[in-house]
Amino acid sequence: MIRLKSQNQVILFIGFCWMIYNAGSVLADTPVVASVDGNHAAEMTAGTKLFRDQVRDILIHKCVDCHGGNSIESGFDITKRESMLRGGDSGTPAVVPRNAKASLLYRLITHEEEPTMPLEASKLKPEEIAMIGQWIDFGAPYDKPLVEAGDMTPWTERRVPDEAKLYWTFQPLREVAPPAIDGDGSAHPIDRFVIAKRSSAGISGNGPADKRTLLRRAHFGLVGIPPTPDEAKNFLDDSSPNAYEKLVDRLLDNPHFGHRWARHWLDVARFAESHGFEQDYDRPHAYHYRDFVIKAFNDDMPYDKFVRYQIAGDEIAPHDPLAMKATGFLGAGAYPTQITQREVEPSRYDAMDDMANTTGQAFLAMTIGCARCHDHKFDPIPQADYYRFVANFATTVRSNIEVEIAPVTPEEIESYRTKTKQLTAQLATFESDELPDRLDKWIKQSMSEPSTATGWQLLNWIASSRGGATFELLEDGSHLAVGNNDTYDEYTFTTETDLVGLRQFRIEALTHASMKQGGPGRASNGNFALTDIRVTAASMADSNNVVEAKLLNAQATHQQNKTNLSVAAAIDDNPSTGWAVDFGGIGKDQAASFQFEKPVGFNGGTLLTIKLIFKGNGQHNLGRLRIAVANESEPLDLKSQASETIPHSLLPDGDLTLGLKAVSEDKFAPLLAWYRQRDPRWRELKQSLDQHLAAPPQPKKEMVMVTSEGFPPIRHHMPSGAPDFFETTHFLRRGDVLQKDGEATPGILQILNDKSDHSGDWYAERPTDARTSYRRIAVADWITDREQGAGDLLARVIVNRLWHHHFGSGLVATPNDFGKQAESPSHPELLDYLAGELIRNQWRLKPIHKLILTSATYRQSSAFNEANFAADNDNRMLWRFEPRRLEAEAIRDTLLAVTGTLDRRMFGPGTLDESMRRRSVYFMMKRSKLIPTLQLFDAPESLVPIGERAATTVGPQALWFLNNPHVRQWAEELAGRLLPRLEDSTDLVVHDVYWAAFCRDPDEFEREVANKFLTEQIESYRASGEKDALKLALTDFCQSILSLNELIYVE
Amino acid sequence: MNKTQSLNRRHWLARCGQGMGTLGLASLLGDSGLLATDAVSPSAVVGPLSPKPAHFPAKAKRVIWLFINGGPSQVDTWDYKPALEKLDGTKLEGFDNTTGFFPGSVGALMKSPFKFSQQGECGKWVSEVFPHLSQHVDKMAFIHSNYTQSNNHSPALFMMNSGMRRMGFPCVGSWLTYGLGTENQDLPAFVVMSDPLGRGLPKGHSQNWGSGFLPSVYQGTHLRSQGDPIENLSPPKSVRGDRQRAMLDLIGKLGKHHLEAHPAEQELAARIESFELAYRMQSASPEATDIASEPKHIQELYGIDDQRCKHVAAQCLTARRLLERGVRFVQIYSGGMENQRSWDGHNDIQGNHAQFAGETDKPFAALLADLQQRGMLDDTLVIWGGEFGRGAVAQKADKPGRDHNPNANTIWMAGGGVRGGVSYGETDETGNEAVKNRVSVNDLHATILHLLGMDHERLTYRYSGRDFRLTDVAGNVVSDIVA
Repeated sequence: MIRLKSQNQVILFIGFCWMIYNAGSVLADTPVVASVDGNHAAEMTAGTKLFRDQVRDILIHKCVDCHGGNSIESGFDITKRESMLRGGDSGTPAVVPRNAKASLLYRLITHEEEPTMPLEASKLKPEEIAMIGQWIDFGAPYDKPLVEAGDMTPWTERRVPDEAKLYWTFQPLREVAPPAIDGDGSAHPIDRFVIAKRSSAGISGNGPADKRTLLRRAHFGLVGIPPTPDEAKNFLDDSSPNAYEKLVDRLLDNPHFGHRWARHWLDVARFAESHGFEQDYDRPHAYHYRDFVIKAFNDDMPYDKFVRYQIAGDEIAPHDPLAMKATGFLGAGAYPTQITQREVEPSRYDAMDDMANTTGQAFLAMTIGCARCHDHKFDPIPQADYYRFVANFATTVRSNIEVEIAPVTPEEIESYRTKTKQLTAQLATFESDELPDRLDKWIKQSMSEPSTATGWQLLNWIASSRGGATFELLEDGSHLAVGNNDTYDEYTFTTETDLVGLRQFRIEALTHASMKQGGPGRASNGNFALTDIRVTAASMADSNNVVEAKLLNAQATHQQNKTNLSVAAAIDDNPSTGWAVDFGGIGKDQAASFQFEKPVGFNGGTLLTIKLIFKGNGQHNLGRLRIAVANESEPLDLKSQASETIPHSLLPDGDLTLGLKAVSEDKFAPLLAWYRQRDPRWRELKQSLDQHLAAPPQPKKEMVMVTSEGFPPIRHHMPSGAPDFFETTHFLRRGDVLQKDGEATPGILQILNDKSDHSGDWYAERPTDARTSYRRIAVADWITDREQGAGDLLARVIVNRLWHHHFGSGLVATPNDFGKQAESPSHPELLDYLAGELIRNQWRLKPIHKLILTSATYRQSSAFNEANFAADNDNRMLWRFEPRRLEAEAIRDTLLAVTGTLDRRMFGPGTLDESMRRRSVYFMMKRSKLIPTLQLFDAPESLVPIGERAATTVGPQALWFLNNPHVRQWAEELAGRLLPRLEDSTDLVVHDVYWAAFCRDPDEFEREVANKFLTEQIESYRASGEKDALKLALTDFCQSILSLNELIYVE
Repeated sequence: MNKTQSLNRRHWLARCGQGMGTLGLASLLGDSGLLATDAVSPSAVVGPLSPKPAHFPAKAKRVIWLFINGGPSQVDTWDYKPALEKLDGTKLEGFDNTTGFFPGSVGALMKSPFKFSQQGECGKWVSEVFPHLSQHVDKMAFIHSNYTQSNNHSPALFMMNSGMRRMGFPCVGSWLTYGLGTENQDLPAFVVMSDPLGRGLPKGHSQNWGSGFLPSVYQGTHLRSQGDPIENLSPPKSVRGDRQRAMLDLIGKLGKHHLEAHPAEQELAARIESFELAYRMQSASPEATDIASEPKHIQELYGIDDQRCKHVAAQCLTARRLLERGVRFVQIYSGGMENQRSWDGHNDIQGNHAQFAGETDKPFAALLADLQQRGMLDDTLVIWGGEFGRGAVAQKADKPGRDHNPNANTIWMAGGGVRGGVSYGETDETGNEAVKNRVSVNDLHATILHLLGMDHERLTYRYSGRDFRLTDVAGNVVSDIVA
């Protein structure tokens, strides 16, 4: 229990709720009861004492929340004796004074009657029940009401008292100057704070670590992998005074810095790439968030921007791909893939809880989620604040959207223009310089060969539409229907021909970009339905001689089904059935052919008419078509090329053997235009140009999982009609969706608001055309606002995280909890100083890293000191650098680096495949298939925010070093590279392996032991006839060295 | 006691996250004599999995949970409802169609397709699907009034395993091994076996044996049904035997040499010793899972020669060997994922339950008998139960089934500290809803912990500013079934 005194009021932070009572008054609710017997007064006195000392606390902790505190369930209010005696809605008195066994209250808490109390909670302890029974038997007196009469504020309006802000967590940053040490103000500022503190505790710090230790320490701390032997030698040989500072700068610029520090942040962000729950479906586009974090750390993105992007990047900078990727933060939590009707609403509150709680812990080290069912037990977060905060995320959901990753560059535009010019010029040159000659040759050739046209022949059709469509004749001889698309159209194609003995014809139904889905039909889905075909042939010699050709044997490249939408249905005289091509045929060229029952064509010329009727389905008219005929009696290949004859109107007038000379001036241009379509080279050039023109440079887009509003939500198995979110957030008593207490409008935490209200000035008017609610941008503004919001705490929390990872423990030992349950900071002034430095450096983190790494506190040795340990076993005074084991990812990455097998490529999708050799941050985090190696070394499960990892030592970890096939493989590759050295001497290779692993020479003992091992192991393999004895033995040696403590413990 | 030792231990605690009572160095340091003489005596340090005293003396030392995955139908197994025969085909008045998973397929009340008969001294009515298990009813305490919070597999599975509907909380086995450690450091403390016939993992997958915010050392180890039972158990081919021993000696020598310069760092000593432990594990796990070494009559008792149940027989026999060797908590999932792959009898409840009861009846009964004949049943808690029960109403289908039912579920326990032959709690006359002495999942967990000597209110872990419990803020021990 925590007491804060102010103006005669004591505010109790108790269990389920806050109650305010007047400490000065003793308003005993003494009952006026006629004297029953002489014991009565004594009993009432004893009862009052029992109430004050014991019963009151039990009722407050176990009962009052639902009966007079947060709510008054069943109309039963226990805060006053009067209402306690009266009982609830049932009408039965709850307490019969002086008769516990007859009292309903007693029977409920003893579970003799239902509903058993406390409802859905542990039964009271026997001694508690006994005390309440005794108290009732004493007459059930109150010394004063459980809740002061004036405190009738509904729980949804409960205020945080001003005093709560006095707690250090919520105080503004103090302007602190590093103390002068022995009058010397020149030391490193961090050391001045640390030394001052140590001196007051009578503890002295260690001297500096040796150069090699420092080198490895800085490498592990900043990039998570050890230096290569060359890097190590360069540094060890650099005797300049600022060699170490240069090293720190180099490492901060190393891209692996982002890998190392992103992994720390991803723990806090409970980042994973699958949904979890029933099916654990993948989130294949979630890795962009991980890449955002890596890039942001490498670029030293200001931390306030880093935070703002993660909360509301989509609102702040929707055109910055990094901002969109950053929103993956809110949506990184688990979410059910299968939701029953009953779970729709609770699941959504769970999702909002995940967003709000992670936001609270990651940025503010505030356990906001603890206030979901009741006021926070320890921290000044009323339950109502929780619901107001949660409401900020009411409409926020996960979506996969295409995000422009990179815009079109001026270079790309320039190169596109150049190519356009080049291709256009090429075509123009061809047309002017070569095409006439080729036409000339063609005219001569086509004349020199007699017409032996076989196969499909295109004719010069004239097309018309009854429904008001118009036809454009395209250069390939097809007709494109444009304009009106009548409900039921009818096309008529006519031509005059000298051909006789025609046995079949073909309709090509062709695609075109002007149609939906590319056609070939004009319907909204690209389909058509050709319901009937009528073919008539009229003799041009005898206009009375007209026959209707009967059609048989319909064939098609694709038909929608085999019955009413088959190609045969187009010639069945049934206007409600016809040829259609959906289910596989849309967007592709199609064709159908039909045979004439009898040969068609009159000597002396024929007027051929083909009517195409579209009646089956509204607006299912063909969009682009080409008709050909043939003389063969066997059905021809539907897709074979058709030959053509020159349109009559273009026929040269003179002797065709003369070529172009036979063509009159006025026919030349149209004839050339007709011909070029048939010229393979022209078509090739034209196609290149068209293709180029159709593909101007596009911005690079990638699918990204964002957490935003207004995009289609990612949705799996839910009842149909169930909403993905609820516009309105309610106050929920006990966190139960069935106990709503009005609407919770979006708000921020009172305790971190200068105005002590729910909204401050952060909620701005939402632009009318906005896709999002602009609630999250308010949260982002508030959380980074130093003057009136949470900005100071935000800065404290992140510098503490930096400290935690560099020293193994934060200045506040619980990086995710700065609440009252947490230990106070070991160095509060230093914490504020570092937070201040962060802000003075425009929220850039790299200067803080450098500040920390260049301090003597960081650079001191890890040597153990019995006396210091006795005085300060937790090393809170920082008398040494605390040695510790690397984390899972760094262990694996270190093995890869040392064996020379690390793949240093950055970014992009991850994998579950453990043979992957990139940094471990690139493993895909699938919740049901966590990477076994990482799990083995205490990597978290990515379900809740984790600020500090455990470091356990168990047998299965050693099994991994000894037996894991990947470890073996890496060792073998290192051995393979060093093998030539082994052929010279074991000593050389021992030296090399020690440098690769530890950046040092082996000492005498190590050399001796290692050489002996290698010699004996080689003999052992040779003895059993292994032909790779040297390599096997060296692999064994490398693997053993990889297993040593020295490799994975940072000193 | 040497001050360094005890303080060092505290220092280690801080390393492992605050509030942890017990993480530390391990009996790992063991008896191998690898440590420098001035180092800590093994008894002064406690490993994350080394045995720890319970809160109070208790009979049960270990647990095997036979998890009836998919949700068994109480009215077709252990919760005999004669009234349901009379009411067969009638509508269940007031039934909420969203109780189960398929609101559109709710049928009328449906009697059990199975015959029931009275068994044992206690005269328990048992379904004919359990001809073998029914011989052990006098060992069992039945809870007929369990209920849960979700009508959906994975939330209900998470609830039954971790007490929370959501992901990310430690499950019973993790809490128990966190609280009690384990008796054999050469074997995993908490072992899980899932369906070996390729029918999938329970919904929610490995989260059902996850350690949540507890250190991952408390996760369940999923035993593989083929190949090495656990990962990284077999050395590379060329380094078996002497050669691996030589490597271990090299690691030991060089490690100790390094340790000499860091005599106070017990983590380093512990890790050196962990390689010896690993070496022992290489032989311990295959030995523990070598059921072929069991006598033929024992194999036959479990049904290893019976095509229908031999896969579960192998799991039960393996489980018994593991428990015998000091493993703290074993969980066997009967059935795979959902529908006809597990007890999730949405269609054809008769065929479904006949099949899965057939797969498990003989091996489960054999496990009880075998534990008893070895004197292990007295201190081994056996639990039979799934994530929820099923409806008394039919789910409409050609062959009718039963849908999920969070409002009624039968679970039985036997062995360590459990009163045999008793039934606790009741469902209504149709068996559709627990009405008397309702037992929540928190109550069930509180009872399990109690039987193992743990007070569910005292077994806590500080995470995120709060002391978490397996039972959250509720839970009452069902003392009526405690012997």
